[in-house]
Amino acid sequence: MKRRHFIKTIGASLVLFQGTALASKAKALKGSQANTKKIVWVVLRGGLDSLHTIVPTFEADLVKLRPSLYKSVKDKLLPLDNGFAFNPALKHLHTWYKNKELIPVVAVGSGYKRRSHFDGQDFLESGLTKINEDSGWLARALKHKNKKALAVSRSTPVSLRGSDNTSTWYPSSLKDADDDVYAALGKLYAEDALLSSRLKEGLNIQDMAGSAVSEKRKGKFIDLTKACAQLLKNNNTIDCAMLELGGWDTHNNQDVRLKKQLTELDNGLESLKEGLGETWKDTIVIVATEFGRTAKENGTGGTDHGTASNMFIAGGSVKGGKVLGDWPGLSESQLFEQRDLMPTSNSFSWIASVLGEQWGLSADQLNDVFPAEFIKRKPTIKIVV
Amino acid sequence: MSIQAVIATNRFGLGAKPNEHKQAKKAPKAWLINQLNATPAVYFDDDLPTSDEIAEQLAKLRLFKKSLNKKNANGSASLVSKADQDKLKKLQKYPRNVYQSLSSDTLIQAIQSNNSLNWRLLDFFSNHFSVTAQGQIMTALAPTLEREAIAPHLLGSFEEMLLAVTKHPAMLIYLNNEKSFGPASKLGKKGKGLNENLAREILELHTLGVNGGYSQQDVTELAKGITGWSVANFTKEKSIAFTYIGKGHEPNTRKILGTMFKNDGIKQGENMLKFLAHHPATAEHICFKLARHFIADEPPKSLVEKMVKRWKLSKGKIKDVVIEMINADESWSETSLKFKSPREFVVSTFRGVGQKSLKPKQVLNALTVLGQKPFNAGSPAGYSDYQQDWNGASAIMSRIELSAQYAARRKPNAEKVLMNTLSDSVSELTYNSVIRAESRQQAFTLLLMSPEFQRR
Repeated sequence: MKRRHFIKTIGASLVLFQGTALASKAKALKGSQANTKKIVWVVLRGGLDSLHTIVPTFEADLVKLRPSLYKSVKDKLLPLDNGFAFNPALKHLHTWYKNKELIPVVAVGSGYKRRSHFDGQDFLESGLTKINEDSGWLARALKHKNKKALAVSRSTPVSLRGSDNTSTWYPSSLKDADDDVYAALGKLYAEDALLSSRLKEGLNIQDMAGSAVSEKRKGKFIDLTKACAQLLKNNNTIDCAMLELGGWDTHNNQDVRLKKQLTELDNGLESLKEGLGETWKDTIVIVATEFGRTAKENGTGGTDHGTASNMFIAGGSVKGGKVLGDWPGLSESQLFEQRDLMPTSNSFSWIASVLGEQWGLSADQLNDVFPAEFIKRKPTIKIVV
Repeated sequence: MSIQAVIATNRFGLGAKPNEHKQAKKAPKAWLINQLNATPAVYFDDDLPTSDEIAEQLAKLRLFKKSLNKKNANGSASLVSKADQDKLKKLQKYPRNVYQSLSSDTLIQAIQSNNSLNWRLLDFFSNHFSVTAQGQIMTALAPTLEREAIAPHLLGSFEEMLLAVTKHPAMLIYLNNEKSFGPASKLGKKGKGLNENLAREILELHTLGVNGGYSQQDVTELAKGITGWSVANFTKEKSIAFTYIGKGHEPNTRKILGTMFKNDGIKQGENMLKFLAHHPATAEHICFKLARHFIADEPPKSLVEKMVKRWKLSKGKIKDVVIEMINADESWSETSLKFKSPREFVVSTFRGVGQKSLKPKQVLNALTVLGQKPFNAGSPAGYSDYQQDWNGASAIMSRIELSAQYAARRKPNAEKVLMNTLSDSVSELTYNSVIRAESRQQAFTLLLMSPEFQRR
């Protein structure tokens, strides 16, 4: 049995991306702006050190707080406005910035203040005052506009939990099984709701990825962004994708480690843009991390867990080219608990602006996605051109 | 009781080997508890190297590289000779090779063991004290932590396990404590400083838990209490063992959760760890995690309460707590509430088949493609123990592909394996699907991917 035919036969009540009928309908809609606005949500796991990423060169305290870290990048920084500068590893992002396709946001925090990675990440993903691992902000946003999302991951991350319009895809180095095996499993799972829906989802995505992703890769960030771009570009039924990149927990040897990490991020995002081609102008990428790191470097050439960090908002139609967010300063009294960069705006207020402008979520709908205290202070600037 | 035997072998063990179901059937609880009497609880291939032996090889690599750099710098050898290149290549392969031998040994021992309950406990604590193989040193050292610090205390006291783990070079290096020195110590005055990474994870992950009531102040105090807890300089001393560097220890009395610890050199940190090991929040944190691992993502409260009570009575004796869990009625629900992790799925497959010879790479590759490569969680929190992190669509598709590949190569007798592992506990639909499959190969894939085999 041919895969497509098989999917159709077992997929009477497909959970997602319903078979060929919907796909051809989507094709017919191609060109219409109505449902092509896309969002890519990227979570950096481990706590990105914003002060080594977007360096506030105007801060007299920087040399004192970070003698070795600041020295390691000082002479090679890539200038932004108002005395901020990118870490030299962010070459492509710097070009985006100059082309006004990137907004760096400084001193943002999710509202989480306790410095545990794992709670911090769940907080950033659930977007609620009290963490709920079964309900993600992106999933709640999908519901209001009937959007569909794909997580480039083996299982559903917290951000996308709680929605039926979500699926997962991850590259596999294994060969597909024969079609008759999938057919037999379809029958075997008749009495098992979870497995039968997973199988249907999996076959659909495999079918889409089969033509979109030419090679089976190992799962480096750049492979994932490339594949993600192909999946987004070639399937009008996917409005949103989520990517993750770990390795930001730089307690030691930070200069070398962040250089490697930021390069990986920078190259990955550039291939996402490249791969999206024309679709880039309809896409907004949001990059965030669970928290920032201590203003002071620690005893081992690194930094410990902190509070505020930075975000990136990028895309073909964003009003970029300016560093946004209020700068709190680095003197001891300006730091959070005398140790961390102070958050001056909430990450979710920026995200809410993106959701409003990109997907047209109303104020009421945004208030359903996020608790009021996170988004009551809105950015005064429009994000999309 | 057939169903009870299926629960004993699958929920508590790592799946039945041929004949195990029959043995467990007579008295499932006793069959399990008897495994806890084995001494040692688990054993490894002791021809494989220890952390100190690994350090010797790592030293060779480091010194040889140094000598090559020196030669280059002197200009005496602008091109490294072929012999030197080969030697370097061989030395550079060592960390990966030793990682593969050690981590596959654990898997292969677990697959062949008659005491798979003990191996499951080892996996649990190895993941509780998760270390990641990254960079040359940690790639080689990560798999030694469970062998040297966890296994010897597996069924003993948690206090001793915590001390052994915290003093093990793999943990000290992974969480950067080996170079953490007190700002007011002699070394601190020479510019060395504090790193709070290990201290934070001890409180958050290893003992009290994230809601255990500690503050940032407590993190800093514990970090200072374990300053000077370091490792031997392996390029000079042929050892990487725990070393206490007194001149790097932060002076003065410290306070954690309101309790004072006077400065007594290394004993200050030891006393802090003992205090944390016996703190009520630790009992609750670890008993809950154990119940979640074995029984259900949201385990019954009454079960956790029984285990916590036993923990406190026995002063954190792991064996007693596990027996309490085995004896509790709540643990024997006939509905399987957990989806197998990739590790459990792979190990139970090989056990079910009763496969005698296993290649290290075969087992490791299987775990890698399913997303649970040993010592590769990439975070000190370890791999998730929630089933929803393992049963996504993409994860299921990989399991299908892997099962089909394995079935095509080996073509095991599916009906026999079904009877050995799940016996008559499977649904009619599963039984008929397996028996009436169109080929041996498909029958075995269906068995492995059946709702019953995927859960425990």
